Amino acid sequence: MHKSKKQSTHIPLFILGGIVLFILSNFIEELRVLQGTTIAVYVIAISSIILLTGYSGQVSLGHGALMALGAYAAALLRFEFNVPIILCFIAAVLVAAVGGLLLGLAAARLSGPYLAGTTLALAIGLPSLANQFSILGGEQGKEFKVGPKDPDPDAVATVAGESLTVLGKILSFLGKLMETFAIGAWPDASPVTTYKWWFWIAALAALISMWSVRNILNSAYGRSWRAGRGNEVAAQLAGINTARSKVLAFTISAGIAGLAGALLAMTIGTVSPSAFPLALSFSLLTGAVLSGISTLGGVIIGSVVLVAIPEIADVVAHRLGSSESVTTNLPGLIVSGLLILTVLFVPNGPVEQHRARKAKHEAVHNSTKK
Amino acid sequence: MQLLNTFLIGLTAGAIYALMAIAFVLVWRSTRVVNFAQAGMALLSTYFGYEAVSRLGSFWIALPVAMIGGALFAALVEFTLMRLLVKHASSGPIAGVAPIIATLGLLGVIKSVVTMIWGGQDLVIVAPISNNGFKINETTTLVFSPLKLFILVVVLILLIILTILFQKTNLGLALRASAHAPEIARLSGIRVDAVRTLGWALAGAAGAVAGLFQTVNGNGNFSPDSTEFSLLLVSGFIAAVIGGLDSLLGAVLGGLFLGIAISFVLMYVSSGLFFIAPFVILLLVLFLRPQGIIGVKVGRRA
Repeated sequence: MHKSKKQSTHIPLFILGGIVLFILSNFIEELRVLQGTTIAVYVIAISSIILLTGYSGQVSLGHGALMALGAYAAALLRFEFNVPIILCFIAAVLVAAVGGLLLGLAAARLSGPYLAGTTLALAIGLPSLANQFSILGGEQGKEFKVGPKDPDPDAVATVAGESLTVLGKILSFLGKLMETFAIGAWPDASPVTTYKWWFWIAALAALISMWSVRNILNSAYGRSWRAGRGNEVAAQLAGINTARSKVLAFTISAGIAGLAGALLAMTIGTVSPSAFPLALSFSLLTGAVLSGISTLGGVIIGSVVLVAIPEIADVVAHRLGSSESVTTNLPGLIVSGLLILTVLFVPNGPVEQHRARKAKHEAVHNSTKK
Repeated sequence: MQLLNTFLIGLTAGAIYALMAIAFVLVWRSTRVVNFAQAGMALLSTYFGYEAVSRLGSFWIALPVAMIGGALFAALVEFTLMRLLVKHASSGPIAGVAPIIATLGLLGVIKSVVTMIWGGQDLVIVAPISNNGFKINETTTLVFSPLKLFILVVVLILLIILTILFQKTNLGLALRASAHAPEIARLSGIRVDAVRTLGWALAGAAGAVAGLFQTVNGNGNFSPDSTEFSLLLVSGFIAAVIGGLDSLLGAVLGGLFLGIAISFVLMYVSSGLFFIAPFVILLLVLFLRPQGIIGVKVGRRA
């Protein structure tokens, strides 16, 4: 494969992306910042699906449940023990990864529809378990507040505060820099709002996880997953322990999903069973298919589409002047319809489709030259 | 007495799961696809039944109307969506998961459209016969009711009809041949595509009955978001897997086993385990007896 030739890890690229996002976040309106946060969360969640389904060939309809696992872990630590936020997110990754390991052990024995059905049962079953334990807060859920100005006078607030002052310094430095180059005045009056704070956390997490996933997929693990997906027997003959590599893929994917779950809970403010419905697992799958199930680079397409669909649906419904029941269900219809259409007509995703067409075109071109 | 009641409740619930499992098995046998939209089709058929009840005033007309409606819709889905799917998405990394994704998408489409047409609120279908338990003597009443008995009888009759259809008729032979060796079936003059559509139609009808029975066996309320249909989807699938996914008798036994097992868990362990119990049972079955209770030679990895 052409991908495996690239040895660079692209660290500068990701750092540059982070800086661009950071500057951008200071120029756009609050609502867009919140949407940016949601996009970042989807990017993380969808990349976990792409890793699992596109590369390792396993289907999971239970990633909503794994996200819930991570979210509950983070919220519990935060609410009961007041653990620093960063540790909450790390715990979310670890707990979800352990859940994924257990599920993966079962999954390695299953294939295709069996695995899909099993994870589907999990997605329906697991969130309802939260009602069984009072510490998880039942249907109301568990509070999970993350903000720049933490009212509690504890260590977390000072940590947040300190990082804020550092950010502030960078901010003013950037502002001066931009004034010097006459790009435009830095919007100095803009304070660090909660939305911005969320966006920075989510965008940073998205960049880090995208970077990790990209490098994992290009490593020996990623290649062994693709080999196992392509032809399991051949992969085994080549010395790959396909069962173990499948379990590993599930564990890593679950850990990433757990991070996404904790971030999603952050934007909602609480963790409750209803925050992780079956529809969430489905829309993640839709996002992955729209991105191109085995193209990590396309993940931004799927995430943006998922966030944009409700807005587009809203506009369309208003144009048509339709009733409320149509308006509320149009996004779901569009998501599902897109899912079917994509599978039918662009089965391997827009990026891959374009690449294939280009390759074909070049092949034709070369043959005519001769 | 409680033991008997728990058993009978489970048996009835299991009979409905069995219907759903039969639908899964029929689709699996005809096209090697697990149809996750089955619950959506059952939901749509239940709305057909609701329309028939409210216009014509009789459950006995609604039942065949829902069955025919469900069958036609399922046939339409096979005729359009599934054939396109085979044509377009049978290669590349997506091939293995394309049918799963497509049927899930269909589930979403059906649910959205149904909600747009009929709204999200609860609608009611009144049970045609009493759901009050049989009286054994003056003081004790069974939970088992004429309605539940009726459900059991209908499931039994449907199983017998389907078994005769599959084992004793030429059509059944064509259905079996297309499932096991499509190429050879085609060569011997069987119109495999048409047979596949028929398999889906039969499944649609079975799912319609499951949807209607699940509704009247509960409190008669149903809505697009009701958990009943999620439960029907998961339980039907699990029952089919327990039965080996390839056998009608296995599906029925799997459904009954699952219904009874869930009923006992809810009664004697905790009633809050409503949704997680099927999952645990599925995992146990997959680990202990991966070929299903009616053994098939091909494993789950195939």
